Amino acid sequence: MIAQMLRKENIQILDQVADWQEAVRVSVKPLVQTGFVEPRYADGIIENALELGPYFVLTDDVALLHGRPEQGVIEKQLAVTVVHKSVDFSGDKSRQARLLVTLAATNGEDHIDVMATLAELFMNEEKIRQVINSKSAEEVYQIFLAAEEAALE
Amino acid sequence: MTVKKIMCCCGTGIGSSLMVRLNVEKVLKQIGKTGINVVHARTSEAVPGAADIFVVGGDLAAHVGELPNKIVLRNIMSMNELQDKLTEMLEKVEKEEN
Repeated sequence: MIAQMLRKENIQILDQVADWQEAVRVSVKPLVQTGFVEPRYADGIIENALELGPYFVLTDDVALLHGRPEQGVIEKQLAVTVVHKSVDFSGDKSRQARLLVTLAATNGEDHIDVMATLAELFMNEEKIRQVINSKSAEEVYQIFLAAEEAALE
Repeated sequence: MTVKKIMCCCGTGIGSSLMVRLNVEKVLKQIGKTGINVVHARTSEAVPGAADIFVVGGDLAAHVGELPNKIVLRNIMSMNELQDKLTEMLEKVEKEEN
């Protein structure tokens, strides 16, 4: 459930970040501060990206940042970072995102209900745009809650 | 042959592969297919024999080896693309001799 998986304090809205690696570090930071992942989790995500490429940019404007459980996850949780200036994950602008959802998962299965919510959101361009244009963490949070309801229907 | 297992793969077996698995399950339900086990896994687990059909995002296609019955998705969030490719693959595999 979103109520358990996402805290409003872990939603941030930023104008820009230096580069994609900085974007990963900034996106993971709230989860470090709230005790859901170890600081090394960001390094793990960056390592995976360097090895496998930016496949986690799931669709235009959306990145699902995550590592493996053993790369520093303490407890499952999400964080949401909106960056107004697109983050270029590919270096050639073919894979860019303004909505960065950070996922900490403790295994391959336990976050399945929240993935259904994220799928609902990520398949809807209008909702993605609403998140990116949100003025506050509260607004972002409400869109995620609504996506969860839609996913349950 | 009868399709018994579909494996969706991504780099970590945590994120996009699970999302694709949920979409595959939706498509199977829509087209009325039952009795197929859908799993998600890391690309390294995608080896011949591990499943009857494999689904992988285009960005990771180079990271899976030679696989039979492999669906490569251009946009992993597109239900239409998945439905078209999965339906076609199911028909193809079901026609094959054991």
